[in-house]
Amino acid sequence: MTSTQVVAPVLARSTQPARRLPVPHKRAIAFFVLPFGALFALFYALPVGYAVWQSLLVVEREGTFGPARQVFGGLAQYEQVFQNGPFWTSVGRVLLFGAVQVPVMLLLALVFALLLDSPLLRGKRFFRLAFFVPYAVPGVVAAIMWGFLYSPNLSPFTAVTSNVDLLSADLVLWAMANVVTWVYVGYNMLIIYSSLLAIPTEVYEAARLDGAGQLRIAWSVKIPLVLPAIVLTTVFSIIGTLQLLAEPQVFRSFSSAVTSTFTPNLTVYSTSSVPNFNLAAAFSVVLALATFVLSFAFLKLTQKKGVQ
Amino acid sequence: MRLTSKAASVGTLTAVALLVAGCSSSADDTPAGGDAAGACEPSDGAVELTFTTWIPGIEEVVDVWNAANPDIQVTVQTGPNGNGGTYQNFFNQLKAGNAPDLGQIEYDALPNFRVQDGLTDLGACADVMAAQDDFVDWTWDQVSFGEDGHAYAIPQDAGPMALFYRKDLFEANGIPVPTTWAEYAAAAEQVKAAGGYITNFSQSDVNQFAGLVWQAGGTWFTNDGDAWGVDLAGEESAEVAEYWQDLVDRDLVSSVPPWTSEWDNAYNIGAAWTWVSAVWGANSIASGAPDTSGKWAVAPMPQWEEGEEVAGNWGGSSTAVFRGSEHVYEATKFALWLNTSDEALTLLNEAANLYPATKAGAELPALAEGVEFYGGQPIYDVFAEASTQVPAGFTWGPTMTQVYADVSDGFKGAVSGSGTLLEALESAQGSTISTLESQSIPVAE
Repeated sequence: MTSTQVVAPVLARSTQPARRLPVPHKRAIAFFVLPFGALFALFYALPVGYAVWQSLLVVEREGTFGPARQVFGGLAQYEQVFQNGPFWTSVGRVLLFGAVQVPVMLLLALVFALLLDSPLLRGKRFFRLAFFVPYAVPGVVAAIMWGFLYSPNLSPFTAVTSNVDLLSADLVLWAMANVVTWVYVGYNMLIIYSSLLAIPTEVYEAARLDGAGQLRIAWSVKIPLVLPAIVLTTVFSIIGTLQLLAEPQVFRSFSSAVTSTFTPNLTVYSTSSVPNFNLAAAFSVVLALATFVLSFAFLKLTQKKGVQ
Repeated sequence: MRLTSKAASVGTLTAVALLVAGCSSSADDTPAGGDAAGACEPSDGAVELTFTTWIPGIEEVVDVWNAANPDIQVTVQTGPNGNGGTYQNFFNQLKAGNAPDLGQIEYDALPNFRVQDGLTDLGACADVMAAQDDFVDWTWDQVSFGEDGHAYAIPQDAGPMALFYRKDLFEANGIPVPTTWAEYAAAAEQVKAAGGYITNFSQSDVNQFAGLVWQAGGTWFTNDGDAWGVDLAGEESAEVAEYWQDLVDRDLVSSVPPWTSEWDNAYNIGAAWTWVSAVWGANSIASGAPDTSGKWAVAPMPQWEEGEEVAGNWGGSSTAVFRGSEHVYEATKFALWLNTSDEALTLLNEAANLYPATKAGAELPALAEGVEFYGGQPIYDVFAEASTQVPAGFTWGPTMTQVYADVSDGFKGAVSGSGTLLEALESAQGSTISTLESQSIPVAE
């Protein structure tokens, strides 16, 4: 208990809202914000707005090769989105994927970060880099590499892959989860690790004076203090999961179990190659909203816990 | 904190509203389509053209053109095969207004591009219309959609199908080369007993299956000018589907996905013994299975009825000029050279085993020669025969990318044990109709 008492003021200080003062140098602030604002508008707000607009249009034409006209169709595309069975199946699939993969990945990231931070471990620099290296491998390359490792006849581990078909309908989702975990563990580890480095050493001294060992310090001091970092990585991971694209797209050619609507983003991609850009835009908007809702719901949930 | 976030969201909303207002005007000037037929005039001065294709070795062919035509320089860009990603790029580029001048489009995808208003009608180009009689009739039908005085692309090659088989292995095991599909199924059992697979079932490239349906006399679409008829699961399709379902059920064909390294490897190590494929497939085997050089041969495609002589067609491409090209005249000059001159056709055949779509192309000296990879057999004789046996009247639909994706999704399920090939076709029938309807493309009841 002593350790949590130490924790409280630290947490409180960091979350206390700053008092609002009249803002001087308004022009200077505007000047410095402008580059960000311009880029944000150009590369974020504009494309999002364009997608929203596209999603509200429908196509009209006459005859089998009649010229297409785009007209305002209200929410007609959204009606199709909500009636589209494969899309919602794919949403369910990534939710299942996320419910299993995100906790496993973050647990691993946390364990690695704690090990790196522990005074008992040697060769920290090496391990820090070694765990992080997969993140430097582009996602598509990682997926292709694992695709070959999994393939029944070409894999260097044919003893395993010819007996257990990792690319079959039952396992391919988890084969992908493994790829995603492999790529992102190091990245998440680094976020948690840097947050561990920011903990003042007095906290540890106090804990040791109270007789806590390394495990106890990890459990009662470090983990509660890096909770904001874990929350952050969880939000990132939820977003990443819902937007899964590179891995299933690559695995489509390796595996018979990956369809053109395997994940929501793949559905968007397939729809835009029909090409039905309007429906694809509507899918994207719904997916974006779902991502917002899930991320914010998670943040709200964790914030409430923090207050208690 | 609350205040700022509210302000930010108000700001974002305003921005979106402004954008929406800004975009609404642009929706009105969506091109009305087909109006490019008016112009096919030479441009002033030197012209630079861009050409996107996936023909292996095309760079050398284009170099020959560029050396001879300093005023019309062509920059070639290669990508994955059409349904493997290049069509998607084309559609995106057309939407963004930066499509290349020229692109390779297979006959099956032409309706898709035409319905999206992506093609320039070359009817105004006198040179193109004059070349009409140079091409094999059915290929011209595909690019003109049977309309007199119009051409939406220039035919390049044809994909008559035949049976590629491992001559050495068939002989060593005393298996007769199948001439009917019934014999093919029987051979599949013998091959399996000898430790191989006769072939794979192409679950992710539905084009091959379409070629088999074509041979069986079916068609997936009809177009009477007012509406599209969709018939993915008709009698002939069902017959072909049930035939392959039986082979899949008895594990007589492998489920290795086509066009993967695993698939190449199966041919290279002799785990797969035959491939029912188009003439350009000669190149795919030779490049994918280099260790088997000299061991292959080509025979006519197995028939449904003893003694019939019918072939399917798989692929075959055209060269299209995309909407928005500013140099239609020069683009057609290059495309005509590429697809009708003896020089280019010989080079294309050497580089990629393309079989010309021109009538004169069949007489090319290069096509009479034996091919080393196929034990010196003059394989083009088989394909020349096959190209005259392809039934007329197979019509492609306006959303083939979607049809292939949906059928493939079902086929993939069928080879991994859920559902059947016929059910996949039936389900794609429904999804195709709803895709057409969602694009306001009329469907016949």
